[in-house]
Amino acid sequence: MRRLPVTIVVSVVILTVVLACAIAGGLIAPHALRQSLYLGSVGAGQAGHLFGTDQLGRDVLQLSVAGARSALAGPVLVALGSMLIGVLMGTVAGYRGGAVDMLAGRYADLLLAMPAILLAIVVAGLLGGGYWIAVGVLVLLFSPSDVRLVRAAVMEQASRPYIESAKVLGIRPRRIMFRHVLPNVFPIIVANVLLNVAFALVALSSLSYLGLGVPPGAADWGRQLADGRQLLGSNPLASIVPGLLIILTATAVNLLGDWISDLLDRKVATR
Amino acid sequence: MTAPLLKTTGLRVTGPSGVIVAGLDLEVGHGEAVAIVGESGSGKSMTAKALSGLLPRGVSASGEIELEGDPIAQWRRVRGSRVALLLQDPFTSLSPVHTCGAQIGWAVRDRRRRAERVRSLLAEVGLSADVAGKYPFELSGGMRQRVAIAAALSADPGLLIADEPTTALDVTTQRGVLDLIGELRRERRMGLILITHDLRLARSRADRVLVMYAGRLVESGPADEVLRAPGHPYTARLAECDPPLDRRLPELVTIPGSVPQPHSVTAGCPFAGRCDLVVDSCRTTTPSLVETGAGHLVACPRTTGEGLAPSPPVSMDRPEPAEPRPADEEILAVRGLTKRFRGREQPALDDVSLTVGRGDAVAIVGESGSGKTTLARCLVGLERPDAGTVEAPSRIQIVFQDPYSALNPGMTVGTSLAEALAAAGRPRSEVGGLLELVGLPGAYARRRPRALSGGERQRVAIARALAPRAEVLVCDEPVSALDVSVQAGILNLLAKLRADLGLTLLFITHDLAVARQVADRVHVMYQGRILESGPAGAVLSAPRHDYTRRLLAAVPGEE
Repeated sequence: MRRLPVTIVVSVVILTVVLACAIAGGLIAPHALRQSLYLGSVGAGQAGHLFGTDQLGRDVLQLSVAGARSALAGPVLVALGSMLIGVLMGTVAGYRGGAVDMLAGRYADLLLAMPAILLAIVVAGLLGGGYWIAVGVLVLLFSPSDVRLVRAAVMEQASRPYIESAKVLGIRPRRIMFRHVLPNVFPIIVANVLLNVAFALVALSSLSYLGLGVPPGAADWGRQLADGRQLLGSNPLASIVPGLLIILTATAVNLLGDWISDLLDRKVATR
Repeated sequence: MTAPLLKTTGLRVTGPSGVIVAGLDLEVGHGEAVAIVGESGSGKSMTAKALSGLLPRGVSASGEIELEGDPIAQWRRVRGSRVALLLQDPFTSLSPVHTCGAQIGWAVRDRRRRAERVRSLLAEVGLSADVAGKYPFELSGGMRQRVAIAAALSADPGLLIADEPTTALDVTTQRGVLDLIGELRRERRMGLILITHDLRLARSRADRVLVMYAGRLVESGPADEVLRAPGHPYTARLAECDPPLDRRLPELVTIPGSVPQPHSVTAGCPFAGRCDLVVDSCRTTTPSLVETGAGHLVACPRTTGEGLAPSPPVSMDRPEPAEPRPADEEILAVRGLTKRFRGREQPALDDVSLTVGRGDAVAIVGESGSGKTTLARCLVGLERPDAGTVEAPSRIQIVFQDPYSALNPGMTVGTSLAEALAAAGRPRSEVGGLLELVGLPGAYARRRPRALSGGERQRVAIARALAPRAEVLVCDEPVSALDVSVQAGILNLLAKLRADLGLTLLFITHDLAVARQVADRVHVMYQGRILESGPAGAVLSAPRHDYTRRLLAAVPGEE
């Protein structure tokens, strides 16, 4: 086994920390939402508040730890949900062709033709906002690229002799699609899910920033970034910390995704 | 005495997992044609890449290479002007977005003379001047390979290295391209290194032959002598594996086992594990090349210099039925089959009719584009014909050409077979029996395809096709991606299955010698039509149709 690249080690460390915070946020930062009206917003270096406090007097560090949950749960759900749609529609469309393929193609065209973030803003706004609504909208908006990706990969496999042999042997189409074709396009799926986690993190944070994601006051990096705008003078760290966290997490997921897809590609190539 | 055109001393190529070519001494004179022959894994292609300085990343060469007496230090200076490379596949070796003229002209320095030079090069390779303005996709395979030759010649190289230059081409085009390379070599007094897996081709096109095995040179010498009186057991066996075109052998000669990885051979003769003349010393001392005749070198301690007698004398040819017995029962009937693919002028199948009797072996021969594969696909239901009827039993199965994509890479052999059995309502316990049927040990059920050689994969593919107790087996070029020694094993297996199981074989192939070994009846296809049908012996020995005659005349070594 070759040595792991440094960037991958760093990415894994970052993501492990974020994951730990998301799972055990309550233990690591039990006072994330405690407001200190007496203290108000203070800058960095105050005793007990490494990065200072926000406009409600909450500790920026603890709040950021608590924000890890919404930073991971939503994006992971968006990536998995959209890939589920992608796998179901893309596999059937790519394998069957014909009318099913046409319908899946139109679905993808229709959704891709609309400006995604704008649509998300409108829908989230109409439905009254909220984190899970934003997640649901993003699942739908992320799905067309997954449908196309899986469809193309499946089509490439479907003309291979091992698939044609399976057809001639009379194996049921559903079994061919999900037992034969799908495992062989798996690397592409894994890589794209990870890339989508990074995109979804940024998209969800943007929606929260615009006030369409989490409710005001919730622990969320996008929200913190937006709320911190007013404090740029007194405590700039209130928005710099969550901003950096978004960038670091998204980059780490991206790098890891690229690396894993390379690894799986090579594994498939040596078969 | 002048220095030879190319001389290598102790050429070693080393890759990430170890040695690929273990010390090769090679000399090519001006105007000389040298063939390097070997099966896959012999290191012949890596030798070509090392000689043209085009080794892939992670692979390095050591040893000395001299061109006309100067050691090569800088590949950039040498390539093109002194050494040119011609690759196997004319479909990928030319750029699809540049015209042929532009590609030929890339190596012509003088801009003003470029157009004129391209015209004269095109004339030299037998193409008209208007080809210069065409794109590669507008040309046939043979024409593309001619364009590639013109491009290789544009800087007047002294040495041309041709790596399987005609393997991707049809036989009738193959011959023209080989003739052209031969003529150009004589006219230009150019050295030629011909890399090939085809012994017959090497014999008919080269002055000298080098036989490589597992990265080592095992024999070299004058082409005729090496192949008429081989000194190394490997060469002898390899020559015997090549099926003859003029008769049918009772059983084809095979070499048991497979070519070892060059880096796994440490001491002794690389062929020791598969050799039937092996003695103890073969396994411990590495044989050195010994001169057995004028310029004839053999790396085998057992060589006598007399040449090895062809081992089992071919005495009893399996009697070829003059007129195959009238089939007792028709098992497959095709009537008026027509298929036209969208956007194609020429129909892929044009009113094809044929019948196959139970237990018969029928070969369908033809070049690429003849419609033979489309016919096979229609028979098993992978393609729907536009018109005509197919009457086939439900238990008809197919084996494809490419062994590497024939099996699901993610499933073990056992799972693949069990699934095929399950689809036919048979229990998993029959997996072992299936493997045994195709000559593989039962333990192979636990292996994944990547741990299998090409021949073994093809055997598994046959086993899978037999899983539902197939009555008819359609084989679409099942051996054309395999080495000759492996090919013979598969052909023997098919003959045995036919005899033991009463299997009906429909064998699609471009190789007439293979058709001769396998089939009782032959149908010759051309442009979607069956031109000639009849008993194999009659069609292949006394063809009536002009096209069949041309096809037969184009087989290398049959001139």
